[in-house]
Amino acid sequence: MAKLTIRNVIKRYGALEVLHGVSVAAQDGEFVVLVGPSGCGKSTLLRMIAGLESISDGEIEIGDRVVNDLEPNERDIAMVFQTYALYPHMTVRDNMAFSLKLARRSRQEIEQKVDDAAGILDLTALLDRYPRQLSGGQRQRVAMGRAIVRNPAVFLFDEPLSNLDAKLRVQMRTEIKTLHQRLGTTMVYVTHDQMEAMTMADRIVVMHGGGIEQVGPPLQIYDEPANSFVAGFIGSPSMNFIDGLVVERGGTAELQTEEGVHWPLPESARAYLGQSVRLGIRPEHIAVGPDGVQARVNIVEPTGSDTHLQLQVGSQSIIAAVRDRPSVSVGQPVPLRIDANKVHLFDLASGKRLH
Amino acid sequence: MLDKHRSAITQSKTRPRRWFRAGEGRTAFFFLLPGLIGILLFLVLPIFASIALSFTDWQLLGTPHFVGFANYTRLFTADPQFWTVLRNTVFFTVEYLILNIVVSLGLATWISSLKFGQRWFRGIFFLPTFTPLIAVAIVWMLIFTSGGLFDSLMERLSLPFSGVLNSQTLAMQAVILTSIWAGVGYNTVLFNAALDMVPASYLEAARIDGATAWDRFWKIRLPLISPTLFFGTVMTAITSLQVFDQIFVMTKGGPGSATATLGYAIYQRGFQNFQMGYASAIAWVMFALIMALTALQFWFQRKWVHYDN
Amino acid sequence: MTTKSKAKARRRLVLDVINHAALAIVAVAFLFPFFWMVSNAVRSNAEVMAIPVRILPKVFEWGNFVAAWTRLPFGRFFLNSAIIAVCVTAITVVVSCLSGYAFARLKFKGRETLLLGYIGTLMVPPLMLIIPLFLIINRLGMVNTFPGVILPISFGTFGAFLMRQFFLSIPMELEEAARIDGASRLRILIGIIVPLSMPAIGLLSLFTFMGQWNNFLWPLIVMTGADNATLPVGLTMFQTQQGTQWNYLMAGATLSMLPGIFLAIILQKLIYNSIALNAGMGGR
Repeated sequence: MAKLTIRNVIKRYGALEVLHGVSVAAQDGEFVVLVGPSGCGKSTLLRMIAGLESISDGEIEIGDRVVNDLEPNERDIAMVFQTYALYPHMTVRDNMAFSLKLARRSRQEIEQKVDDAAGILDLTALLDRYPRQLSGGQRQRVAMGRAIVRNPAVFLFDEPLSNLDAKLRVQMRTEIKTLHQRLGTTMVYVTHDQMEAMTMADRIVVMHGGGIEQVGPPLQIYDEPANSFVAGFIGSPSMNFIDGLVVERGGTAELQTEEGVHWPLPESARAYLGQSVRLGIRPEHIAVGPDGVQARVNIVEPTGSDTHLQLQVGSQSIIAAVRDRPSVSVGQPVPLRIDANKVHLFDLASGKRLH
Repeated sequence: MLDKHRSAITQSKTRPRRWFRAGEGRTAFFFLLPGLIGILLFLVLPIFASIALSFTDWQLLGTPHFVGFANYTRLFTADPQFWTVLRNTVFFTVEYLILNIVVSLGLATWISSLKFGQRWFRGIFFLPTFTPLIAVAIVWMLIFTSGGLFDSLMERLSLPFSGVLNSQTLAMQAVILTSIWAGVGYNTVLFNAALDMVPASYLEAARIDGATAWDRFWKIRLPLISPTLFFGTVMTAITSLQVFDQIFVMTKGGPGSATATLGYAIYQRGFQNFQMGYASAIAWVMFALIMALTALQFWFQRKWVHYDN
Repeated sequence: MTTKSKAKARRRLVLDVINHAALAIVAVAFLFPFFWMVSNAVRSNAEVMAIPVRILPKVFEWGNFVAAWTRLPFGRFFLNSAIIAVCVTAITVVVSCLSGYAFARLKFKGRETLLLGYIGTLMVPPLMLIIPLFLIINRLGMVNTFPGVILPISFGTFGAFLMRQFFLSIPMELEEAARIDGASRLRILIGIIVPLSMPAIGLLSLFTFMGQWNNFLWPLIVMTGADNATLPVGLTMFQTQQGTQWNYLMAGATLSMLPGIFLAIILQKLIYNSIALNAGMGGR
């Protein structure tokens, strides 16, 4: 078990810089999720921690050792790949034992460790099978078993669930989380799925364009996004954004759009009177009210538990997620209420959250 | 702006981390070494040696003398046999190549039309490919020998072809027939595999569009396998220009020089007369011929080979 | 089914049967030389040349196979051919895997250039190198020795290229997982890559082996001693100044063909798949 520290890490391919000086640390035993859209550099960063990519500049420290110049196997890490990367010509047992055999551990020790790991992951009955004889979820577990037997200081996961179907993904999410609680090892987990990040992480690192946008616990990221990118990326359906001018009308602060629509703002938004801002409001904070902003229903999407309404306000498209099952139909005009206290305001130019 | 500034700073303090590459480079060197030694000694060195030799009069014993282009001028102006050899080689290659491609494509198409036993038929036509060409040539020599099976068949049919191996005109045809039997199997399997790989949906779409079986073959399947057809043609041409084994067994280049080819001439000059320099010059003429024919085929492929991308 | 469509189906069936039967006749005709070879191997030499020609021998002389085997040191020829073919194949496979791996997975300066050079050498016709190769072997004092016949033909570049192409199709993650597990490059190659490349290695081995088993000119030139001759070279020894012993020659030819025919039959699927691989890559 160990702390992982990343200091000003830069990755360049020739003249192209894909990571611009990233610094982040994972505490001992922490579950850190790197999340971001594809091409944001999250996988590259993970592969640099693993030693599969060279580090152009900066330092990576595992425990108290700088590992920049160490081979992957010397870094005391284990990695679970997106495609699992199970050796197709070896049985489950041999797959799990491979690293121990290479390290010339004793037969007894190898057997012991493989059996232990298999027990933890419920793989005991499958030890003599080949990867091709396993289901997707079982392969996933073997990949984790291969990581566990090494008893590494840090576990690395590279989008390990993206090849599974939706139901299995939810199940494996829980299994990985349980495993983390049981082993208490530092884990770094890469995903593009914000839902995975929210549900699994102790701390989320949101990455974008080769840099870090925000680091924090899931709910903090959700409730207090540092900027409009994070606000839009985390949460599903995505946050609604409405640009406009902060004005005062009838004694309260309001956002006035170019089309003349007025949206309520919290009292504290008075500080930005006269400024152009971007208002952000999550779909679940919009309700069909008895009165409010006039909108028209475009699409009704019942998900069972919630109902997603795609609404049109002027030329602006708005999504609302409502808990009950509103009796609205397509084309019908409805009044919208938004919870002024749940509104975020972002600076139009920099995207930084003002409020 | 900020990024630029930051990377400028870090660039200046970049430490050398070439170990990452150097380690791989060293591994690569050791992995490549056995092959490289072999290739330098047995491929690169001989190529240069061959060029050098072709400008000498070396006879294996004694010391070689530099003779400039004498070997080449002798080939093209003084050697009475050489033009015959060149003509024989081109004649063999052209006839063999056309027959091989036509027959193998025909067999491949025929086989692919079958519902049962495709692999058995493929296997039968492939068999000679895995047998020693020398043995094949010996069997066909027995068939063609005077008073042999072929002659008695011709007699039965009252056809005026007998003693073909002793005939100035027919000996080459016998060699070509033997070569076809021996060599048609590989291309048959190659083309058959290519035909198998044409997605059924194309043919189904063509049927719906109203294409007849004839159209489907000429307008859909043939264009789609044309890259493979081209590949097979080029490879077959290169090997047929080097024909040797059949001729060594069946005719020894005879009667007269009726079946002497470049390959046989290299052997004769080099290893029977030990004219190493002269034989090397012939080898380079053969190489030039191979390059010319290959270039010609690549030139023509633009007219008939269809690539997806 | 209507009567009309029934009639149509029957007509199609008849056409199908005719199609199969016609190709079967062609195939049998194609196999005739094999039959003729065996048929002449088991008759007396006088009967081989007798007129009129008989399709089957009057008396089956199966002893001819034994006679052919003992008349010349045929067992020795077999062994010589086997030694050469096996050694060339083994060296080719090992060298090709090593170089192929370097080209597929290791970064080094000038990799693309070197690979292009390797591909370029494929254009050089083997017949062209015969003379300088013989002179090199002669200079090294290796004429009429096994190393002399084996080494010069064991370093073709085709194998390296073939293995590279195949290695590239193996997922990179497997290799990265092995690196994290602590495997060295050599260990990765032997323990992970090679076991997964058996189709390609099988194809390379098979075609190298058969190519050398059937090779004639190079062993003819290098193996000057009668005892060192390979099978194809040995066969030509039945043609002597006194005339040709056709029956023994046919018996010898039959024996020489057996391994290839055997392999072609049992490895039918591998052969088809490997040639199909060629068809897929052909010209692309």
